Amino acid sequence: MKRKAKEERRNDFMREWQEHKILYLMCVPGLILLLMFCYVPFTGIWMAFTDFNVVDGIFGSPFVALKNFEYFFTGGVGPKIIYNTLYINIFGLILGLIFPVSLAICLNEIKGKAFKKFTQSMMFFPYFLSWVVIGAIIYGFFSTDIGVVNHVLKSLGIDAVQWYSEPKYWKAILIFANVWKWSGYNSIIYLAAMSNFDASLYEAAEVDGANRFQQITRITLPLLKPTAIVLTLMSIGRIFYGDFGMVYGIVGNNPVLSDAVSVIDTYVYSAMRTLGFSYSTAVGLMQSIMGLILVTLSNKFAKKINEGEGLF
Amino acid sequence: MKRSFSDRAVNAAAYIFIGLFALICFYPLLLTVSVSLSSESEIIQNGYSVLPQKFTFDTYQYIFAHSGDRILRSYGVTIFVTVVGTVASLFVTSMMSYALSIRRLKYRNAIAFICNFTIIFSAGLIPWYIVCVNYYGLKDSIWSLILPSMFSVWNMFLMRTYFDGIPISLYEAARIDGANYFRIFWQIAIPLSKTALLTVGLMYALQYWNDWWNALIFIKEKDNFPLQYYLYTILSNINAIRSGRVPAGATGVKLPAETVKMAVTVITIGPIIFLYPFAQKYFVSGIMTGAVKG
Repeated sequence: MKRKAKEERRNDFMREWQEHKILYLMCVPGLILLLMFCYVPFTGIWMAFTDFNVVDGIFGSPFVALKNFEYFFTGGVGPKIIYNTLYINIFGLILGLIFPVSLAICLNEIKGKAFKKFTQSMMFFPYFLSWVVIGAIIYGFFSTDIGVVNHVLKSLGIDAVQWYSEPKYWKAILIFANVWKWSGYNSIIYLAAMSNFDASLYEAAEVDGANRFQQITRITLPLLKPTAIVLTLMSIGRIFYGDFGMVYGIVGNNPVLSDAVSVIDTYVYSAMRTLGFSYSTAVGLMQSIMGLILVTLSNKFAKKINEGEGLF
Repeated sequence: MKRSFSDRAVNAAAYIFIGLFALICFYPLLLTVSVSLSSESEIIQNGYSVLPQKFTFDTYQYIFAHSGDRILRSYGVTIFVTVVGTVASLFVTSMMSYALSIRRLKYRNAIAFICNFTIIFSAGLIPWYIVCVNYYGLKDSIWSLILPSMFSVWNMFLMRTYFDGIPISLYEAARIDGANYFRIFWQIAIPLSKTALLTVGLMYALQYWNDWWNALIFIKEKDNFPLQYYLYTILSNINAIRSGRVPAGATGVKLPAETVKMAVTVITIGPIIFLYPFAQKYFVSGIMTGAVKG
């Protein structure tokens, strides 16, 4: 019995392969790339539990169990790095909700086609710039002698600030830079959702004498809620991931500022060079595991409110 | 119909908010271009301004006279990486998303899972780096700028959404005529998906053009610096000098002038500005397609 079933399954498999060989072969290049750059690196996770040295290799180095993980928390750096990451991401998440939603609602109110198109192009533009370019622009704003901000401060009679040696401002600068880069992009997602709304709802509201403001708060906002929740859940899933490009592109390795803004991702990168491969692998692994848990949870949640449709 | 006061107030507020935000998004770009066209001494004296001060092309001339080779070389690296990378990425991505869009494919869900898993869990930077350097020998190779980012699972699923929109009956007719799946892909699916190819292709192109992360990790040889990374090294040199870690002049690292920095920035984003009016609508279409799906 069992053997027959097994044989049948094998025959099914062979028939499927015969019939769709070409389609499977077309998947091979992509699968090879995933194997090379996503799956093979999994073997390196073992380094997190060893004291890696190049001579003994990944699997020959001495096993140290959880020592690397312990050091992250007892060494004093860990909590601060996690705090920075969460701080930047949570504020980014809140502002990244408020700005794009407001922009989409306002764009929807604007009747002038040319004005709408023109302003939308301008708001979408920052998305096309790399963080290095944005870093150069921010330098133009905050450099001490000739920066725009100090110039304005001086003309208002306020003393110039040495921005690049004052760590306390930089979390806020990064958060706003992020909002600046992504608001135009995300507002398009909300506009796409709004274009599917039933126009008769608004007509009925108008007949009942509701003004525009009431229509926005009573119809548009409630209808946008599912989209907003899905996007927020996606950000929550990635809340332990800092934006390496943003932090490194804007602040670079400036030692005065890096304490205030270094996130898990930049810490892993710098720890690789100063504290060795094993320790930084351990930190990265912790981040991945937290990410896995959060993404799975938020995906479950999204399915619940989104009629069975998950985040991916 | 006469509009009430409150409706007009809402409308005015919308115009003001949008106008202001659009200005905030665009102002830095104007500033950058203007400074690159100003004379250095005026900038030092008066600071940045939206209109060029003492309009001049001197900075660009200076750049091409003094570090022209470097910049042109970096430009070449970036163009090579962008063109080769985009073409290869499109090929790999479109084949897979086409295959996964065929509902008869029995193991398509298993393959989709293999892709999805890489989004939710990764080994992290260090194992990835070790594997790339030790197993694949990517250190200081120009392929290190292409191969690691050649296949994006997001773009693959985005493209599948486009392929899903093609009616199966078109494929079935070709099947009956004896065409195999690759021929259907090449002669029917691809010609019908020009918008999809352009959209995803532009997304890949932007990603390659703007990438400096791979260079930061893998490239030490100056000849292989892409443009973005070249700009990054200029900025981080300034940062190092400003933070007092490296005394100015001590290492032979010369602090580049403000105008030079901004001119290099303009050179870096030049093609993006140039292509933006054309490319924008495809990105919007891509975002909307992705957004409607999930």
